[in-house]
Amino acid sequence: MLYRVIDSEELPSLVSAFMKDYEVVAPVKRDGSYVFDVIGSPDEIELSYETTISSPKKYLLPPDETLLAFDARANGVTDFAAQITPRVIFGAHACDINAINRLDLVFRDGRYPDPYYTARRDATLVVGLSCMPQSTCFCHLWDADEARFGYDLFLQDIGDKYLVSIGSVEAANILEASCKPREATDEERIAFRHVTRTRQQSFDHAIPDIQDVAMLMDAFHDDPFWEELGGGCLSCTACSAVCPTCFCFDIRDTFDPDGKTGRRERIWDACTSPQFALVAGGHNFRPTAARRVRHRMYHKLNGFLANHDRMLCVGCGRCVKACKAGINPIEVLKFFVRKGAEDAQ
Amino acid sequence: MSGYATPGFTDKLTAPRVVVVGLASCFGCQLQITNGEEHLLDVLGQIDLSYWQLASSDPMPDEFDVAIVEGAVTTEESEATVRALRERADVLIAIGACATTAGIPGMAADHFLERPSHVYDRVPTACGDMIAPRSVGSVVDVDYEVRSCPVDTVDFIDVLQRVLYGSNKTVSMRTMCGDCKRNETACFFGKGRLCLGLVTTAGCGAKCVKLGRPCNGCRGLSPDANLPSAREACERYGVPVADFDQALEMFNRTDFALAAEQ
Repeated sequence: MLYRVIDSEELPSLVSAFMKDYEVVAPVKRDGSYVFDVIGSPDEIELSYETTISSPKKYLLPPDETLLAFDARANGVTDFAAQITPRVIFGAHACDINAINRLDLVFRDGRYPDPYYTARRDATLVVGLSCMPQSTCFCHLWDADEARFGYDLFLQDIGDKYLVSIGSVEAANILEASCKPREATDEERIAFRHVTRTRQQSFDHAIPDIQDVAMLMDAFHDDPFWEELGGGCLSCTACSAVCPTCFCFDIRDTFDPDGKTGRRERIWDACTSPQFALVAGGHNFRPTAARRVRHRMYHKLNGFLANHDRMLCVGCGRCVKACKAGINPIEVLKFFVRKGAEDAQ
Repeated sequence: MSGYATPGFTDKLTAPRVVVVGLASCFGCQLQITNGEEHLLDVLGQIDLSYWQLASSDPMPDEFDVAIVEGAVTTEESEATVRALRERADVLIAIGACATTAGIPGMAADHFLERPSHVYDRVPTACGDMIAPRSVGSVVDVDYEVRSCPVDTVDFIDVLQRVLYGSNKTVSMRTMCGDCKRNETACFFGKGRLCLGLVTTAGCGAKCVKLGRPCNGCRGLSPDANLPSAREACERYGVPVADFDQALEMFNRTDFALAAEQ
């Protein structure tokens, strides 16, 4: 990886340079919270944002997208075109970049790449931004507190300067043209080491570090704990809406009001939605909220690991805030701490 | 997919005969249909509208295929109407909060027998033989529902088209909060304010919250609503549980799940 240093004052000119050729989306403040949104000026970016309500996932996998348009009279497809906007996701934290890397595994790198996702991903640059952990952050547990790839630039704040990791030629050219990137001095390298250590030490250590959680979940699949945890589920699907890696979707046909033409749409679905596992004939093979919550936790902390060698959870902590019933992966980790203590007696 | 017609090929001969009937309500949901002016001719082109008091004085025909019912059942006469509609129609659609949850009329359901005397010295005959307000679905089987107070015009057309042509769309009974997260609107509970989205059936896209108002539950309690957990959430966020229970009465007074708790 190539590293360069720029001054903080140069950042607006970098953003402006991106804005010439791309739609730039970045964290902005809205009604007391932060959200990723299109910016009209570099001043709108809130660089010190803690987290956003939802994640940049929405730019690669929109909550609602048209896959094709059809004409029912001709019984045929009239248009396959997806709306692709060349875009820069500016200011993504490491957890969110690691989340995009996981979405890439599912939608881009598999045997059957998703053409809609891939087209968006290819037209998207990612500019990462360093952060300090909040009380709900546990990305370090899943090795997601650092982005090793999946970005075009990554800006590590080292005081009034940024150490910039360069991940693509496209972004390097824009950086070169808009700023005066220079070689890092020894002092700056030491500053980088210092902020990295500070970040690593700033996580809330009350959140249990249980690296073998996936294996333990296999062993305790039928523990009453899952009823206790999922019994409080409100069936609202907020968890998956804010999750940067939840990717389940539903496909449906919607007619235009004239009943002649229409669209095939893909919308976000969620395994915590009561009808998610409802099949033809009316059988629901995950009929209770507790079963659905258990399933979701297993996908996040167990199943994806078995298939892709990494957790699907990146520890961003959004669901910790979003769930009004207090259901989140931290509760699963705490359960296994309690379980360990019981066994020791 | 199943339905009455092949999309795009409806004509006067094959179009399903539709009747629209209003019971106890403000007629706002029927108005919402007319409010879809830009789509109205398109919609009328797909059906044979045989009866609708709001549009024509022609009497209700004896035979029809689809009955659309707005309003709550509040009299013996309206109960008989609903039963007759069910008997004659292949498909019955309940539209609006009054028809789907008993809605605003439903607020009077508790201790109903004493209520008329609070208002009238002698109950006028025009009131009919009053019974405790109830939803259409608690009198007869309802095939399709268009929820909300009032209904969304596009939502209404969508449900009508499900009836006409069949549909591959799942009807989700999830509650509202996920929609707020999709909209990325700030949660009222974070501000210590009550919102009924916790237990209310989603599907409107959390419109009110988008406009800065908490959900008042007009789409009705989801059958998957978790009332004990929602009350615990209220406590955790400093919202009085009594306020939550009282707010639920506006649109869910006759809900079986609530009644079962008492």
